Amino acid sequence: MHDFVVIGGGVSGLTSALLLAQAGRQVALVEAAGRTAPLLRGFSRHGVRFDTGFHYTGGLAPGEPLDLFFRHMGLSDKISSFPFREDGFDVFRSLREGFEFRIPSGYRALLEKLCDAFPGERAAIEAYLARVRATCEAMPYLNLDQGLDTASAFARVFGPTLQESLDALTDNAMLKALLSVHCLLYGVAPEETSFAQHAGIAGCYCLSARGITGGGPALADAFDARLAALGVEIHRGAEATGISLDAAGSVEGVRLGDGRYLPCSGCVATIHPALLPGLLPEGTFRPAALKRLEGLEETVSAFVLYSASDAPIPSLAGSNLFVFPDAGALRTLGNRPLEDGPLYITAAWREDEPVPRGFIGISPTDAGQAAAWGPSPAGMRPDGYPRFKQETATRMRRHIETSCPELRGTMDHLEASTALSMRDWCHTPHGGLYGAKHRVGQYNPAPSTRVRGLFMAGQAVVSPGVLGAVLSGFLACGTILGHDRLTKELKACR
Amino acid sequence: MTDQEIIELIDRSIASEFELDRDAMKPESTLFDELGLDSLDIVDLVIVLESAFKFKIREEEAIRGIRTLGDIHAFVIKKKREMETQG
Repeated sequence: MHDFVVIGGGVSGLTSALLLAQAGRQVALVEAAGRTAPLLRGFSRHGVRFDTGFHYTGGLAPGEPLDLFFRHMGLSDKISSFPFREDGFDVFRSLREGFEFRIPSGYRALLEKLCDAFPGERAAIEAYLARVRATCEAMPYLNLDQGLDTASAFARVFGPTLQESLDALTDNAMLKALLSVHCLLYGVAPEETSFAQHAGIAGCYCLSARGITGGGPALADAFDARLAALGVEIHRGAEATGISLDAAGSVEGVRLGDGRYLPCSGCVATIHPALLPGLLPEGTFRPAALKRLEGLEETVSAFVLYSASDAPIPSLAGSNLFVFPDAGALRTLGNRPLEDGPLYITAAWREDEPVPRGFIGISPTDAGQAAAWGPSPAGMRPDGYPRFKQETATRMRRHIETSCPELRGTMDHLEASTALSMRDWCHTPHGGLYGAKHRVGQYNPAPSTRVRGLFMAGQAVVSPGVLGAVLSGFLACGTILGHDRLTKELKACR
Repeated sequence: MTDQEIIELIDRSIASEFELDRDAMKPESTLFDELGLDSLDIVDLVIVLESAFKFKIREEEAIRGIRTLGDIHAFVIKKKREMETQG
C-alpha cells in the first residue's frame, strides 16, 4: 500500500514523487516509457546528444528559485550548471530590418543595453522591466516571502495580454518583437498569452540564463538517483490505465496496463489534463468540467530539425539564436510558411566536448501540419510522410543557410520531427509542442481536483519548461503537505 | 432577451452542465451549501455562462461576491443590459 502513486515520470512527476518521499510518504511512480523523463533525456545521433526537453533555463544561478528547488530536493550535488554568455545568452535577429540584439543576463544590464539600442524608449523599457519584476515577485514559490494568493491565477486568465501591455507602452514594433521573443519558449503568441504568464517565464531569464552540464539526461539521472535513495518505487514501461475510487469517491488505487494494481490513498497525475477523465470512472467529472478539460487548447506545434556537424559550432556555445524574418513574425504564430515564421536555434553537444557539434532548429507550426498522416502509428506511416519530412527539412536547411551565415557548412547529418512526433512521443492529444496552452480566457486545471486524494501537476497547471514543471510539483505537493511547510524548508536552503 | 429568458437560460445551462435538479434550483439557493457546488466549480460556472451568453467574464470582484443562484441571475442580467447600452 502506497500513500501516493504519481502518474507520469516527467519533471513534474519526478518532482512530486521526490517531495512526497522526502516528507516521509510511501511513493510509487509509474511511467509508460521504458525510462523516466523521456522528453528530458532526448536522443543521440551521429554521436551528438539532442536535448528535446531542456536547452537552458532562467533562475538557476545560486540563490535563485530553481537553484533553491534543486537544493531542497537534494539534486544540487548531483548536477552542475554553467552560465550562458553574460553579454548575450540569446541572439535576436530580425532579417528584413537587419537588426540584431544580444540579450544580456541581469535586469540592469538588460535595461541599459535596451536603452542603447532604443534610445527614445527608456520610459517604456523601464516600465516593462519593472512590471515583469513585480509580477515575478508576486508569484508564490518564485518569491518565498510572498504568500499564496490567487490574484496571479486570475491575471493569467483575465489578462491583459502581452500584446496589449506592450501596445500600451510603445509603438516601436522592433522593441515589442524583442520583448516578446521568449513567447517561443512556451509556444503562445503575444496576442494570446497573458502578460502575467509571460512575465513569470521571461522574468526568470532576466535574472540569469544557465545550462546544465550533460543536459537533460544529467538532470534525469540526478532525479533517478535521488528517488532510489528515498526508496521510491519506480515502475518503468508501466502505463496507468485507470484510477480507482472507493464508495465515498476517494482515490484508492491505480491500475496499470499490464494488469497490476497499486493500492494507494492519493495520486498525483501529471498527464495531459484532457486524458485525466479517461482514467476515472464515468461521471466523476460533471459535463461542465469534462468539456473544459477535454477542450483545452494546446500550444503551437513545431517542425524540428536536428543537425549534427562534422565541425564545431562556437557561435552556439552558451548562446541561442532567434531568427525573425521581420518584427511582425510572432503574429499568427504557427500559421506562417516556414520562411515567414520565427526560428529558434539551440546547441547540441557531443559528450565531453566543450564546443557544440550540432544544433536543434525549431520552427513553430500549426499542430495540423502533418494531420493527414495522423491516423497512422509511429514507424508505420505511409510514404507521403517521410517525403513531407524530407522536403520540409530541405526547406528549413535552405532557410537556415540564408538567414544564419554562422551555421553554413554545419548541417552534415539531418533528422527531423513533426507535430505527429510530438503527439505520439509526448502524449499530447493534438501534438502541441508544450501541451495545453496558457492564454487569456482559458482556465487551466489547478493542483486540486474535485476527487478526494487526486492532484494535478505538470506544465498545463503552471507553465512549460523545467522550471515550470518543477514549480507545478511544488504547488501540488504544497497543496498536499502544506505550503507553509514547503516554503519554510525552501527558505532554509537560501 | 427578457430577464425571464435570461434566467431560464442560466438555470437550464447550470442544471445540465452540473447535473442539478431543476426543482431544487431556487433564486435563494446557495451554490456551495444547497446546490452542492464547490470553489473548484466556480471556474466551470464562469465558462458555462460565457458559452451560454457569448460574452467574456472578467469581473473578478463580482464573481467572488456570488453566493446564490439569484446572485448569478442578477450578475448576468446586469452584464447583458450593460452590453446592450454599449451597443
